[in-house]
Amino acid sequence: MTNGSIGMGKQDRSEREKFENELKRILKASDDSGILLRVIGSLAFQMHCPQYGYLQAALGRAYTDIDFAAYSRQSKQIQGLMTTLSYAENREVFIASEGERSIYDKADGGLHVDIFYEKLDFCHAIYWKDRLEIDAPTIPLIELLLEKMQIVQINEKDVIDTIMLLLEHPLGDHDIETINIKRAATLCANDWGLWRTTTMNLDKVKQLTYDYPQLSSEQKAKVEAQVNEILTRLEKEPKPFAWRLRDRVGDRVKWYKDVDEV
Amino acid sequence: MAKLVGDLMHPGILTCKPDTTLGQVAVLLNQHHVHALVVADRDGRPLGIISDFDLLAGEWLSSDSESLTTMRRLTASDLMSHPIDSVEASIPLTDAVNQLLEKEISRLLVTENGKPVGVISLSDFVASIAQPENPRREVVGDAMSDAILVCRGKTPILSAARAMTEARWRSVLVVDAKGKTLGVVSSLDLLPFVKNGLDEKLVVRDVMHPALTIDINASLREAADKMIQNHHHRLVVIDQDDPDAFPLGVISSFDIVDRMAHPKSVWQTTI
Repeated sequence: MTNGSIGMGKQDRSEREKFENELKRILKASDDSGILLRVIGSLAFQMHCPQYGYLQAALGRAYTDIDFAAYSRQSKQIQGLMTTLSYAENREVFIASEGERSIYDKADGGLHVDIFYEKLDFCHAIYWKDRLEIDAPTIPLIELLLEKMQIVQINEKDVIDTIMLLLEHPLGDHDIETINIKRAATLCANDWGLWRTTTMNLDKVKQLTYDYPQLSSEQKAKVEAQVNEILTRLEKEPKPFAWRLRDRVGDRVKWYKDVDEV
Repeated sequence: MAKLVGDLMHPGILTCKPDTTLGQVAVLLNQHHVHALVVADRDGRPLGIISDFDLLAGEWLSSDSESLTTMRRLTASDLMSHPIDSVEASIPLTDAVNQLLEKEISRLLVTENGKPVGVISLSDFVASIAQPENPRREVVGDAMSDAILVCRGKTPILSAARAMTEARWRSVLVVDAKGKTLGVVSSLDLLPFVKNGLDEKLVVRDVMHPALTIDINASLREAADKMIQNHHHRLVVIDQDDPDAFPLGVISSFDIVDRMAHPKSVWQTTI
């Protein structure tokens, strides 16, 4: 785990509410305009974990921006919406990413909105074609988990979000208030690299959970049990030839993309 | 009596050492015209199997110079499948087929009392179901080859020459997008380039000659007559009712001679 400080630090209630209220404002405006925006990142974990969301503040996990998943076919409408909401677009990001990402800044409040079109493409790509309609106002729970698990240099903030998610939700084969590990197993069976990073990070989450005195013994045991169940499910999924061949080469050839922070 | 694995297997085992590089494995597969090698230790004990499909990983994962360097250092033991699936030579062929289908694999090591004696592969099974030779010698359809070498008019001559060499055919049929015959390129058409050198821009359309056709129901005598009269070594076999459709096959002088050489042909019975 890296010691990146982004997303970690004390954040008072009013500062957290600034992000949460702004998020609600954007979501209402997008709903009213028929635009499909789904929350990802720290605020998504907070919204989808009403019981354990307090852990973010308790463990020093701070909000830094507002992140959304969206479909690229609505990028123009989103641009209009964000302008209406007094945001200025950093157009260079949209052009440099070939339309896969937009960044908007709010001049008066110092807020920063990041929008990812079609996929989250950092160390590994997590696609959301036909997935944004499944849950609201966030992306489905399994995509939230994979959003964190695909990061090779995982940070403490990502571990905290993952712990919250695993404490809050059961595992299963569907997406309704459940972490759909059937989908994770399918995605990892078709992409050895994603499997490698995901299993590596799940092991890290399992170990690091025990370093937090703020968590009870039962909570630590629950996280460990959840991680073990996911790992077992990923292991049991039949793997195609390509996966098995890639597995023989293993870590000798790099299995992920390097990521530059924007 | 049911056929046994031992009846169909390739006797003997082509091996490579565990530290053979992927490049060296590629050369060995190519030299021996096989799809896989058994990776064996210093004492000849089989450790695994490495196939042409496994070697694809070399190209697949060499996305930059760093990964190419890594992949070039990999050896047969790094990429081989193991443990080796094996079968006893004395078991029925159907059991071996079941094993290949269940495990979705292409070959099995054949053993006798546990000792490796050969390999049985998909190619061996395909050969076993290949249509037996038709001893009849009445019409063109009896003697023609109905699986043929075909290319489009824009195919480079170099590609056509390579295909003819690899398939051991002396001609390639040229067709349009809808399968209609445009012509034939034969070894004779390519011979001038051996003498004068080849312009790499040339395509088969530039050198092909018109195809001579014959109906599938024509007699072998008619075929021989057409070949001799026109001094053509091969005829494109068509259906007279649909002459522009993709050809049914090719009959060559060699096919007719092959019929003549058949033990049951009239040419082989004592007068």
